[in-house]
Amino acid sequence: MQKKNSQFTLKSYLDLAQLLKHYKGNHEENRVFALAQKSKGLKLVSLWMNKNLYRVVDELDSSKYLHYLTLLTSLFGFTVLLVGFFTGFTLLSYSGKEPVNVIYLLLVMVGLPLLSMGLTVLSMFSGNLGASFFNHFSPLYYLEKVINFLPFARKIDFSELPFSATLSKWIFLQRLQFFSFLFALGLFFSLVLTIVSKDIAFAWSSTLEIDPVAFQGVLATLATPWQSFFPSAVPSLELVEVSHYFRLGEKLDANMVQNADKLGAWWKFLAMATLTYAILLRLLLWFGIELGFKVQLKKEILVLEGVKKLLREFKTPFVSTQSKKLEQHLEIKEKPTLPASQTLADKYASLVAWNYTDKELLLLQDHNKIKVKSMDVLGGRNSFSQDKLIVDKLKGKVLFYVKAWEPPTMDFIDCLADVLEKDEVTKVEVCPLGTSTENYSSKESDIEVWLKKLEKLDCDKLEVIDV
Amino acid sequence: MSNYPKFAVVGHPNKGKSSIVASLALDNSIQIGNTPGTTQIKRGFPLTVDGEVVYELFDTPGFQRARRVFAWLEEHGDVSADKRIDIVRQFVFEHKESNKFKDEVELLEPILAGAGIIYVVDASKPYGAEYEVEMEILRWCGQPSMAILNLIGDEDYREDWTRALGQYFRLVRTYNPITAGHEEHLELLEGMAQLKEEWTKPIKKAIGVLDDLYDQKINNSVSTIVDYMVEVLSFIHKEKIKGEEVSDEESERAKRFYREKIVRYESEERVKIQTIWNHLNVQKHEGELDLDAVGLFSEESASIFGLSQKELVITGASAGAITGAGFDLMTAGHTLLLGSIIGGVVGGVGAMFGFDNLYEVKVLGQTIGKRELTVGPMQNLNFPYVLLGRSLYHASVIAKRSHAKRDDLNLENTSFTEKVMDASTRKELEKVHAKLRKGDELEKEELSAYQKIIRESFLKLLA
Repeated sequence: MQKKNSQFTLKSYLDLAQLLKHYKGNHEENRVFALAQKSKGLKLVSLWMNKNLYRVVDELDSSKYLHYLTLLTSLFGFTVLLVGFFTGFTLLSYSGKEPVNVIYLLLVMVGLPLLSMGLTVLSMFSGNLGASFFNHFSPLYYLEKVINFLPFARKIDFSELPFSATLSKWIFLQRLQFFSFLFALGLFFSLVLTIVSKDIAFAWSSTLEIDPVAFQGVLATLATPWQSFFPSAVPSLELVEVSHYFRLGEKLDANMVQNADKLGAWWKFLAMATLTYAILLRLLLWFGIELGFKVQLKKEILVLEGVKKLLREFKTPFVSTQSKKLEQHLEIKEKPTLPASQTLADKYASLVAWNYTDKELLLLQDHNKIKVKSMDVLGGRNSFSQDKLIVDKLKGKVLFYVKAWEPPTMDFIDCLADVLEKDEVTKVEVCPLGTSTENYSSKESDIEVWLKKLEKLDCDKLEVIDV
Repeated sequence: MSNYPKFAVVGHPNKGKSSIVASLALDNSIQIGNTPGTTQIKRGFPLTVDGEVVYELFDTPGFQRARRVFAWLEEHGDVSADKRIDIVRQFVFEHKESNKFKDEVELLEPILAGAGIIYVVDASKPYGAEYEVEMEILRWCGQPSMAILNLIGDEDYREDWTRALGQYFRLVRTYNPITAGHEEHLELLEGMAQLKEEWTKPIKKAIGVLDDLYDQKINNSVSTIVDYMVEVLSFIHKEKIKGEEVSDEESERAKRFYREKIVRYESEERVKIQTIWNHLNVQKHEGELDLDAVGLFSEESASIFGLSQKELVITGASAGAITGAGFDLMTAGHTLLLGSIIGGVVGGVGAMFGFDNLYEVKVLGQTIGKRELTVGPMQNLNFPYVLLGRSLYHASVIAKRSHAKRDDLNLENTSFTEKVMDASTRKELEKVHAKLRKGDELEKEELSAYQKIIRESFLKLLA
């Protein structure tokens, strides 16, 4: 019996395949789930499936398939049980005139099960091709083909199911064991019922010249498993000899008639043989098939699309580097609306250089040779009181040198606003300059930054010069 | 109070603070622009492993009124050095609601909460004394600090900057977020680990985590490429046909569907790769895979993403010879190596003829009066190499792309001539390609060998 949440069954396998088609989760969710559990590997996959199966809104494939499988199994199972039962009755039919041939019974109760078990073992260990070949020996194979044409079987699209040929083989073998078991059970019940309700005389008869001693040897070998604890179920040589039957006309052998009370003793051997070879051995093989099926199912689960990813996500730590806080997105204008003037005037009342040193200003002046009445540096290492003194004395047309690559900060804007507020200042031209190695010429992208910032001041007195 | 290391990336506006954060946080969604004030609020970018924060980076707005702040501090701060941080706290407290010092408050807050300082400057521009006031303010905060020299432009003033920054910061490192790769990222973290003793262990852990994450991304990329190759090379399009013979219209429609499906497979693979490397929103320019374009399969272009005809003949011949050799081995050499020779010749000739083959259109099976038309798998021998070349190139460009980059991705680069696969590698690949062409399923070992080759080639491209 399967433990809940611990092992995969055919149903959970089909459910998982269907779930993975719809939902695989993401790394974070899957890892969080795995960390909250103590289980690992496929057990964890099973738990994950149970937790997420509600996400499949369509009818589960497993319900359809298992309904079909259960229906078929019940139908076949019941049929096979009846077939076994009636086969037993037929074989044990005794009119009182002719004894029941033990050899017939042995062929059906021991020979046939052993043959079918042999074929099953070959199927188990052969590849798909071999298995498919051996499966053709089973009447169930053909019955299933016929059943597939029935309307309820057509409701299932078998090509959509994820089974491989190998898994189908194991499912088939599983059912084969169940049906064979039911057949043997039918035989056994019919034997017990007949023994109880009728007085049957068993005998053995064969066209072949079989020596009773050799025959007894074979029977004793067959009875080895129960010889020690149930010796009366091992046919003695005497029993074998007295129950040797020759079909000569309608008459029974006189010796047989004399020992008629002993002939019924065969039933113990036949019951034990059926129980051991047709039932117990079948159960053992069935158990082996179940193990093989589970191993194959595990393999199939691992190759199911999405399972490897799931297992990897369970195992791999989830690493995140994202911010949980939303960004305040700034709408950036593509191009400035304020145009830049291309030329410097010949003469300015004042020249101020923002964030330059006195030495740098001298070099600039040497390069640009602008006629100015006063020349000062603002910002940089200056204190605010120093800046204020310089701003206070500005008047007329003022030229502002700024570093083009340094974007205008609010510190500059505050200072510029102070200058623009002065009535004595008639015009302010801001000239962003490049580095000395660039020959003080500025880049278009830098000028755009300055234009976009300064146009926000919306002041007619202000102009940007691009040299 | 959280005791994991925090780092505030601060500096003058437009010096690449957000680019550095984007690069370190592997996040290409951060707004980056040359307009001052693009970053308006501080944002934390925690590196979390299974929900546990290992360290946190803060992107901050740039200094706007540094001189005014410093003037305020000096005015209120006639105190000993150990008390200066309290003056800075007082400043932030008093100006929290003020719009005037909004940016300064935003950038100082994480530092006052214990974050280490990462001061960013553009070392491709000359040093300016106006920076000193910013550095003074940061010094008043008394937190462990380092400076990053970012080279935005072409010039190099690192020497001047290093001399100046060395007086204020414990460490000065160069880091260009636009070009920095995984190794540079980890080197920078190594530097950050040195800032404070208690931070060494968590940052070392972060380095391990990021290294594992990088390996994970490589593995996921390789798996994605392999899955894609197997899917495309074994893809068969089937459709029912009405009559006994396939009509031209049916044949064309099936071929068109086949082509479209292959192209769709490729774009799906691209999305998967970009998702792995967190570059999903990158705009890219890549020529669509055109199965009918003669140019794609011409000798000239094949040498860019696929193989030339000569290379194909060698590859085909070697793969054929290997198959023949297997036969020789089975007969314990009784075939006098004829298997290898015949296999080689057949393979080589097959490759020559296969060069111009595209895909086969077959009419298959007759089940209850219905006929089926199948297109594929692609028979052209060069096709797998074209696919693989395009895929590896795209994946390597994406993997190497910094999260600080905001330009479009140009994949129409025909200068991709790196030969990442030698003849023996191609031989191994060809065995798998041949199997897929035949519609055979790959064995587990074959698939892992194929994956190994793709991984090695990918790593060569990343190197």
